[in-house]
Amino acid sequence: MIYINWVVALAAILFTVGAIGVMFRRNPLIMFMASEMMWNAAALVFIAYAREFHDMNGQVMAFLIMGTAAAEVGIGLAIIVSVYHKRHRLDIDEISRMKG
Amino acid sequence: MVGIGILAVLAIAGAIGVITARQPVHSALYLVGNLLALALLYLDLQAEFLAVAQVIVYAGAIMVLFLFVVTLLTAGKEDREPPEDLAGQRAWAGIVSIIVGIVLVALAIKYPGAELKVALPANFGNLQGIGRLLWGPDFIYLVGIAIMLLSAALGVLVLNPPKRERQIERQLAAAARAREAAAGGGAVPKAESTNGKEGQGA
Repeated sequence: MIYINWVVALAAILFTVGAIGVMFRRNPLIMFMASEMMWNAAALVFIAYAREFHDMNGQVMAFLIMGTAAAEVGIGLAIIVSVYHKRHRLDIDEISRMKG
Repeated sequence: MVGIGILAVLAIAGAIGVITARQPVHSALYLVGNLLALALLYLDLQAEFLAVAQVIVYAGAIMVLFLFVVTLLTAGKEDREPPEDLAGQRAWAGIVSIIVGIVLVALAIKYPGAELKVALPANFGNLQGIGRLLWGPDFIYLVGIAIMLLSAALGVLVLNPPKRERQIERQLAAAARAREAAAGGGAVPKAESTNGKEGQGA
């Protein structure tokens, strides 16, 4: 059988790897994928504790996370595409200047 | 237990592949591997519906969207990262995030959970169970997701508007002028035909 704390530790590792990716990479697409991994780690914790406490509300929260991630990916990729059409470079520092 | 270990190793390997791959396409494929390993892990945690939704929504829809954008933006580009503007921040980011990771993992392991062998309630994690919650006491979350997805779709349309109407009108007017010239004006077709004859003679 699984012990729930090992699953939570796996989620912590995935979250940390995603955070390192967001902080280290400069390509906005790869940063976005790393943040998707962080969303997934949070969903994994919700599902693990739903299993431990026998309460399905945790799974509803994981469903909410999935929907939020889908909406976020749509908006974020639209922003990346429109910035790329203006600047023609895939670099996150282009967005940091915030000038049109 | 061994299966869980293999899935965990696959998930971590996929995660490390995402942040170390040089090209975004490779990152996307590593992320698919990570998501599929997590979906199998969900299945093992008795979350059947979420495992299937993970495969369909994440590995299907979201990753296809990512791959579309990757092929749209990075086809034929050099894969080198641009020169650094903010030198020195990277080292601090690494130190801080590794410390945060160690603390998180230590906290997760420190408090041991109960071993999971108690019998689960009926319909735990399958479509009936989650449907009863989503259309019952947790209906507000379903409405929230619906509003969020609709506003995201509208936001995408605002950020990347379709072709302007004026541009389309100008193209239509140009096409109409060309048709008129071909039908009504005698000079242009004659010139074309003489050109054709000269071309044949030569």
